[in-house]
Amino acid sequence: MTHGSLQRSVRILARVGVLMFASALPLVAQDVDPLVKLETRDRFAIDLMIDSANMAGLPSNPLRQMALLGLAKRADGRKIVEAVRKQLNLLRTAREVLGAVDDQELTAGASVLSAGAKPAQLATFRPRKKGRNDLQAFVVWTDFLERKVPNDDAFSAITKLWQDGADDATFYSLWTNVQADISQGLNPGTALQNRIRETPGRPTPLPVKPPEGAAGEPKLERL
Amino acid sequence: MNEPKVAITVLCAALLIPSSRDIAAQLASKVEAGQYTVRDGALPMSAIRFAPTVQFEFPHGTLKARGAAFLSEQSLQLADGIVSGTFTSPTVYGVRAEMIGNASRAMDDRSLGTDQVDVQTRIHFRFQQHGGLWFGGGVARPWRVAVFSAADVTDAGAWGKLGSPTAKFGTATLTATFTNFAFSKIASVHDTGSAQLSCASSSSSSLADRGPIRGWFTESSNNMSACERQSRFGDLEGSLHWEVGAFELTAQTGRRFGDSYDVTADSRRWTAATATIWLSDRIAIVGGGGRQPALPLRGLPARSFGMAGLELAYWPMSRTSVPVSLPRAVLVKAFEMRPASAGMHKIIIHVRGVETVDVMGDFSDWSPLMLQRRGRDLWELSVPMSPGMHQINVRVDRGAWMAPPGMPTMRDAYGGEVGLISISPDKTAH
Repeated sequence: MTHGSLQRSVRILARVGVLMFASALPLVAQDVDPLVKLETRDRFAIDLMIDSANMAGLPSNPLRQMALLGLAKRADGRKIVEAVRKQLNLLRTAREVLGAVDDQELTAGASVLSAGAKPAQLATFRPRKKGRNDLQAFVVWTDFLERKVPNDDAFSAITKLWQDGADDATFYSLWTNVQADISQGLNPGTALQNRIRETPGRPTPLPVKPPEGAAGEPKLERL
Repeated sequence: MNEPKVAITVLCAALLIPSSRDIAAQLASKVEAGQYTVRDGALPMSAIRFAPTVQFEFPHGTLKARGAAFLSEQSLQLADGIVSGTFTSPTVYGVRAEMIGNASRAMDDRSLGTDQVDVQTRIHFRFQQHGGLWFGGGVARPWRVAVFSAADVTDAGAWGKLGSPTAKFGTATLTATFTNFAFSKIASVHDTGSAQLSCASSSSSSLADRGPIRGWFTESSNNMSACERQSRFGDLEGSLHWEVGAFELTAQTGRRFGDSYDVTADSRRWTAATATIWLSDRIAIVGGGGRQPALPLRGLPARSFGMAGLELAYWPMSRTSVPVSLPRAVLVKAFEMRPASAGMHKIIIHVRGVETVDVMGDFSDWSPLMLQRRGRDLWELSVPMSPGMHQINVRVDRGAWMAPPGMPTMRDAYGGEVGLISISPDKTAH
């Protein structure tokens, strides 16, 4: 090996190293807003919808996340705009039927609507106790609809548990059992109906026994 | 402190460096200790071998440093060390490019130390997630051996995968490769008759014209009757990597083609096998033996070896017989989320036999985050997650994004599926 050839080799290796480093640079440049990857026309449309959401008092982050999800999945720009528009409409509907809930619940409500629930069904969850959170109920409801549980069955099951004051663990337990049954081949609707029967909700109050001799239903002995 | 001790100290110190959870990279380390017996090589008859490894993994690249030392007769002897970097392009229509660079030192004995720098580029073609082909080429530059040109290395290979990790008989990966080496080396007329012939027939110049070579190969430089010779040989190798449960078997067999001057008789054929039984995610019993061919570029002779040992892996390295990440189907066995420190949740995924695991979700602005390997099939990452509903996807080996198992899901707006996580204000995740 001559000194000249060694120098040439080192130069070649150095150039290869610079090329590898330069090609890796875009991977570390993460401070740029990822939405710039969209075409100007599509980005403008999305910015308009984000402004509309802000003006309407709706959370804009779900719209942004929808666009980012589309970019991550390499969706077409037009499809991304369409998805963001649909999400904005769902958020508007969820706001109308749920009222003044926090942004997280509103987003979860929009997911339920997206999965196929009717706005009137979602409106059942509008009156609520202070501090009551619907997130887990909405998550499980969304999943049931995605698993082809009939809409009315899913709605009645979730509503029953929610009105009975079921906690997050109860909803999660119901979901675990139902999806296990479905994965074993059971019909989704049947699986839910079977499991909802054995799912404990709030203990049903026992009927109050009227005191002996009090006015009430007539006693046979007296007749 | 002498050279081996410095190297071992540096590598051991690297094991103590905690990994950062904020960067998309990881440190992985492995320490092997075993009893090795080597015949007709320069190594002692038996030795304890330590091989710490440090690895940084990035979304499209890997940097790795590995060293090995033998403890024999109460002295620590540096065996080899390698620093390597790999850059991999994204896969487009089943095609991906890979660029590999290595700098290494082999030092089985102080008198047999050699250095090498090599760069290689490969193009991989993947078919239906169960097989593939690759073609590559590169250049290797050795020092301190009787080789004074860069070696042109070209290779081609094919691989196929049978079974799946969930199948009764596990997964078997079969690989066939052909690697061709072409380089110039020093041939002396005092060598064998074939060497004389080769010197006579080659159109090379006398070594007397090659002044600078004295610096690297002084013995031959004083021998004016030596000559330069073009050498060429090819290795055809088949390998099997079989994983079933906690058992792994890796076996290779090969044949070397070339004339008798370039290929010694003891390197014409070789076979070796290594078996591993994992006792836990981090401890394995390893045993194996066989024959390794000579490595002319490194000046290492052919050798037979037998080995039995215990592998202690703090964060085990992945092991695969195919030099390309295998695409995987739904292999994720379990997915779990636990509350971690303030505002953080730890994602725990169990998946075996893969190279990388990534997650992305609204918590990362749908940018992939690489999980850190914490055991043979255990991957972890802490991510910031506020109370509310979150969407998440997971992928293995940079394959398709999918919803993690064991959690509610919904279709996304783009034809995929995402997992749904609800985090209550009391930080419990479902």
